Amino acid sequence: MADPQPDQNSPAAIAQSRQRAQSRQRALSRRRLLGGTAYTAGALALPVGLTACEKPSTGGESGGTVTFGSNYSDEVPKKAIAEVMAASGLDVRVNTVDHNTFQENITRYLQATPDDIFSWFSGFRMQYFAAQGLATDISDVWQSIGGDFSPAMKKASTGSDGKQYFVPFYYYPWAVFYRKSVFQEKGYQIPKTWDDFKALAAKMRTDGLIPIAMADKDGWPAMGTFDYINMRANGYDFHVSLMAGKESWEDSRVKQVFSLWRELLPYNQPGANGRTWQEAAQSLGQKQTGMYLLGMFVGQQFQGEAAADLDFFPFPQIAEAHGQDAVEAPIDGFMISSKVKNLDGAKELLRYLASAKAQNAYLGSDPNNVATSNSADASGYNALQKKAVELVSGAKQISQFLDRDTRPDFASTVMIPSLQSFLSSPKDVNGLCKRIESQKKTIFAS
Amino acid sequence: MNGPARVAGDGTRRRRPVSPMRVVIRIFLWVVALGWLVPLLLPLYASLRPYAETAADGYFSLPRTLNFDYYVQAWRGGNLPTHFLNTLLIAVPAVLLTLFFASFVAFLISRRRLPGGKVLLILFTAGNLLPQQVVLTPVYLMYTKLPLPWWMSWPSELVYDSYWGIIAIHVAFQTGFCVFVLSNYMDTIPRELIEAATVDGAGVWRQYWQVILPLARPALGALGTLEFAWIYNDFLWAVVLMSTGDKLPVTSALNNLRAVYFTDYNLLAAGSILVALPTLIVFFVLQRQFVSGLTLGANKG
Repeated sequence: MADPQPDQNSPAAIAQSRQRAQSRQRALSRRRLLGGTAYTAGALALPVGLTACEKPSTGGESGGTVTFGSNYSDEVPKKAIAEVMAASGLDVRVNTVDHNTFQENITRYLQATPDDIFSWFSGFRMQYFAAQGLATDISDVWQSIGGDFSPAMKKASTGSDGKQYFVPFYYYPWAVFYRKSVFQEKGYQIPKTWDDFKALAAKMRTDGLIPIAMADKDGWPAMGTFDYINMRANGYDFHVSLMAGKESWEDSRVKQVFSLWRELLPYNQPGANGRTWQEAAQSLGQKQTGMYLLGMFVGQQFQGEAAADLDFFPFPQIAEAHGQDAVEAPIDGFMISSKVKNLDGAKELLRYLASAKAQNAYLGSDPNNVATSNSADASGYNALQKKAVELVSGAKQISQFLDRDTRPDFASTVMIPSLQSFLSSPKDVNGLCKRIESQKKTIFAS
Repeated sequence: MNGPARVAGDGTRRRRPVSPMRVVIRIFLWVVALGWLVPLLLPLYASLRPYAETAADGYFSLPRTLNFDYYVQAWRGGNLPTHFLNTLLIAVPAVLLTLFFASFVAFLISRRRLPGGKVLLILFTAGNLLPQQVVLTPVYLMYTKLPLPWWMSWPSELVYDSYWGIIAIHVAFQTGFCVFVLSNYMDTIPRELIEAATVDGAGVWRQYWQVILPLARPALGALGTLEFAWIYNDFLWAVVLMSTGDKLPVTSALNNLRAVYFTDYNLLAAGSILVALPTLIVFFVLQRQFVSGLTLGANKG
């Protein structure tokens, strides 16, 4: 406003002001803005407009598209599952969501617009959604595929109402991994009992090894140790009912688990809460640590010679009554959502996924798992996979891992911090159990 | 009197002897500045080094290998181009709609003597204070029940899992702030302009579209950049209101770089930097608009 007014009548000033007005208009005119809006609005409709000029078929009769909600988001499994689906002979549309988001969003996903079939886990996590009516009963599928699966597999696919809701695809057992060359060199024996196990650990320590690798930065790896000690000391049945919220965490049997675990802690790799399982696995690979209790995916961290040198033994016996009966072997598989659009196609796809053909095709790409079908071709398995089949087929019970055997919210909000605090300060078992129990009551009441 | 002004004013003069207090302040400022920069520079550094190296030596070690492999991997493996496009499909319409609606309301509140205008302004401003998380579940449930024709939302045929829903929620939440800023800005435009326009026979629409809006252009520009950055950075809504993995915007799709049992933080760092890059570029290019956007309407002229 305070600018001195130029001589408005001079031709130069007029030309200048006209120019200024023009350039401003060029920079951002309202018409342009409107045009831009129209353009983006067009672009919004574009993705559907391009792919579908007429409404795509939803199916309803067999032969239509089957949609598949997939959590196989890692590059290798993603490609493998795409190949398996392509070979199914059905028109499968795969919707991949990354593994962690898929898991965290599952309740919302199943209530809103789930795909026809979706990848999920067996055990309590499957039963939980089946009981809420979010999954479709597939007992009729099991009548035709049942012959290929062991009774333990069928049990793991059965909801609390006795019907089947789940088709198992592959599994991976948890066991104590070690390097054969280390055991050979030092003359170590595979421990059969808890006392042997502790004696071996003590011997390793005098030999300058850290006996037991341990990592719990992500919160879940330590759950495996809890599960195994509990199942060996108190049996599978107690473990399952404890996980289902039916037993008190202040029970003397639970406290016994923690005090048994405390006996191992002096042999553990220190600072577990700050270490990822990969780092712990690498310490096993570098022969700094002697043993590591983990799932078979530990093999991802071993290549070449070290991979061939990797072996495992089942977790040792604690109470004679329970022996080494139970094996922790999480099973991944597929379910049909309750809002399925193409039920016949979905069931046909599940029958195919249960077949040895599909499972062989998938496991060719992922050697850290084992097929669930008994008729799957085991000739391509490596030594570790063969041993895993042996371990699981000899098991009297199969557990699914703590975070799959109990409510997910209990596992993540209560058990993760509790086990981490136990690892860093193992003294106060009574207080720990009391805290878990009071939180458990709130969560299981909701 | 402070030092810098004097030094700047007279370069030839000898500098004042350094007092211990100034040294302490300098050190303090450097420490604070580093404290702010480390969380930004460390991922940048980590993203250039292979995981095996940082796992063995730690993140604060000297590099043995430096390369851009992770960027290539993140760009391809995370399928970032698709997700960048998705983000644009959400952010651009959302920003334009927000500004359009907000300027409407601001115009009415500020330039027309609307009965209850002040109450409306307070309502819009108060809306800013509502945490988005509070309405998460109601919005989710509402969206899963609102149908859309199949050509607008496929395959869900609902507002849920469609861009329309995400855009709507952003517009709803951002309009409040924009109304507040724009109405304050329009208050600074002389009332005489509108009076003159009225005398010349301009209707309400004309007053808004041809008189006020062109004058509010600096405010619109500043708000546009701010809003774009905010909507671009949103993570929550897309995760909650989308179920198709391929439709997620780039911030939510970063999770694709995490593997099932294993998170390669160096790869994640590379992905995060790629995702943060557009906002950084927008910020550095339009820095002036950013700053003026934040202080806009703070004082009435």
